[in-house]
Amino acid sequence: MRSTRPLLEADALVKDFGGHRAVDGLSLAVHPGEIYCLLGPNGAGKSTTINCFLGFVTPTSGSVRIADRDVTAHPVETKRALAYIPEQVNLYRNLSGLENLAYLAALGGAQRAERERLRSLLVDAGLPADAIDRRVSTYSKGMRQKVAVALAMAKQADVLLLDEPTSGLDPKASNEFSDLLGRLRERGVAILMATHDLFRARETGQRVGIMKRGRLVTELATTDIGHAELEQLYLQHMHD
Amino acid sequence: MISTIARKEAVELWRDGRFRWGAALVATLLAVALLSGWQHYRDIEASHTAATEATWQRWLSQGEKNPHSAAHYGVYAFKPITPLSLVDQGVNSYTGVFTWLEAHNQNPFEYRPAQDAPALARFGQLTASTVLQLLVPLLMVLLGFSAIAAEREAGTMRLLLSAGVTRGTLAAGKAAGLALGLGVLLVPAALAGALALVTTGTAAETVSAVSSVRVLLLGGSYMLYFAAILGLTLAVSAWARTPRAALVTLLGVWIVNALVAPRVATDVARTRAPLPAAEAFRQAIADDLRNGIDGHSPQDQRQQALRDSVLAAYGVDSIEQLPVNYAGISLQAGEEYANRVYDRHYGALASTLLAQEALHRRLGLVAPLLAVRSASMGLAGTDVYHHEHFVRAAEEHRRLIQRILNADIAQNSRFGETYTAGPALWAQVPEFTYTPPSLATVLSNQSSSALLLVTWVLLAGIAYGVGMRRLTPE
Repeated sequence: MRSTRPLLEADALVKDFGGHRAVDGLSLAVHPGEIYCLLGPNGAGKSTTINCFLGFVTPTSGSVRIADRDVTAHPVETKRALAYIPEQVNLYRNLSGLENLAYLAALGGAQRAERERLRSLLVDAGLPADAIDRRVSTYSKGMRQKVAVALAMAKQADVLLLDEPTSGLDPKASNEFSDLLGRLRERGVAILMATHDLFRARETGQRVGIMKRGRLVTELATTDIGHAELEQLYLQHMHD
Repeated sequence: MISTIARKEAVELWRDGRFRWGAALVATLLAVALLSGWQHYRDIEASHTAATEATWQRWLSQGEKNPHSAAHYGVYAFKPITPLSLVDQGVNSYTGVFTWLEAHNQNPFEYRPAQDAPALARFGQLTASTVLQLLVPLLMVLLGFSAIAAEREAGTMRLLLSAGVTRGTLAAGKAAGLALGLGVLLVPAALAGALALVTTGTAAETVSAVSSVRVLLLGGSYMLYFAAILGLTLAVSAWARTPRAALVTLLGVWIVNALVAPRVATDVARTRAPLPAAEAFRQAIADDLRNGIDGHSPQDQRQQALRDSVLAAYGVDSIEQLPVNYAGISLQAGEEYANRVYDRHYGALASTLLAQEALHRRLGLVAPLLAVRSASMGLAGTDVYHHEHFVRAAEEHRRLIQRILNADIAQNSRFGETYTAGPALWAQVPEFTYTPPSLATVLSNQSSSALLLVTWVLLAGIAYGVGMRRLTPE
């Protein structure tokens, strides 16, 4: 697995906001076909790290790279290689799920896709067939996330960034979402997911990293640790 | 990619009930305004043509009489209505539509519709220019305030920017999408306006009366105005933290542009270039006619001096000995002195009105409405400049009539005799025809308006561009 070059890389990443250091010397790498879960409390720097990969914030020092390209130097090219699913997937309420997908896929540089292919991607992502042509204003949070997953598939993104994607989802929807991520991983997508959900991180990810006050304090493979141990380790770091 | 964004914006706009209702309302008002403007033009044009013909026939068929009586009988000069007045009636309601050309007096223009309008008319007339200058921008504000701010508030901005859309592309796409939506409203309106123009008269008359260049320039001026409003709307939407803040700011901008600035501009113009009170104006003319322009040449002294000079020129001792009728010479001399008085007072009045108009135009730097209003009235031929141009032409014709009639008295009659002339003399007076200012003159007058509109477009574009550059995903 480690023989391939990582698709996502942070190297000694530092990000300051005024006098506050949000990310402090973070280094991590996510390889093709790997799900890396970033754990940590609010304010640990997970979202800032994701935002650095998205190019929404510029690193104070260090670097972030996607598919061997520096995000700051190649903002458009690196975004072409990634898909992003935020905590709240907000789509255009007056457009249908299919229209949202067609629009965002076109903007994301996806090859001009036939409507039928996009429709099948939405079905693959788990969106009910009768919802595809309905306006998104009638969708639940889980349905909107499925549109976002279909977008990642339509773009054939190499990298997927997720920021608290299962927050607010019921267990069934969370489970379906984890399955979808697993299928993307099998296709060789490198996935970085910031989450509070220790159970889901342990179940879905291959590696987890725990962040605290901007620093990556622990990184380990999920095969090396059980649910209870992960929880204990997490709480231990939080109380240090 | 810009076209993708524009198309999606237009689709969303169309599906938004606010747009459909707002556009339907504005389109209806525009259609009603154009229709009533067209009807108004047809009515006025027909009545002017009939009245002009009637006054000319009345002049020719006035029968045998003394030419000076004919000079007092006079003729009426009717200000022609321009076809583009169906879009913008300008100051026509306030300046009057005809004047009586008679001996001795430069009469003011009569029939000002604003004088007879009910009190509610002070809130404004429904004309195409009102809809284009006030309501279309309001519609643009209501549709565009959330264009950028709502993307940020709703969180879709993160998806857009994470897709690799550059801020420049997004800015252009948003602008093109809103323009496309407005085009759905404005293109049919422009076609309806063009159809109304063509049907205001025969095609040949229309083409000769309103050069197509004027129509295009009028359309271009409004396009610049709409581009400025669109740019401002999107700029505020990009800078505002929330759609609500954008809406409040833009409604404030609209109120200043549409309601406050015109009122303030009028007051500033009135203060900087005050007009004399009507009674004082009339009294000043009467005083100059009676006492002389310098105040020390009373009428009787001027008449005595004229008499002496004429007698000396002909080498005779009394006016009865003159080979010409002194009455004709005296009447013409009186006209020419009065002309100097009128030139002085009416000239100053015209200069003041034009100075007010120029000041209004320059204040277009404060509000784009003032710039487009000036350009619109100028190109429609309904501004103060066009009115004053007609006033001057009518006055020149009045003077020409007096010269012809007084010369006839001087040449063809003797002092003290009863003299009458007939249709042959009346026919020597040419029928009044009026040539409006050339397009080049209008363009020269309105160049500053165009420059101000372009400046507004650039400023709004820069503000929009800077706002988009500093745009954050949330």
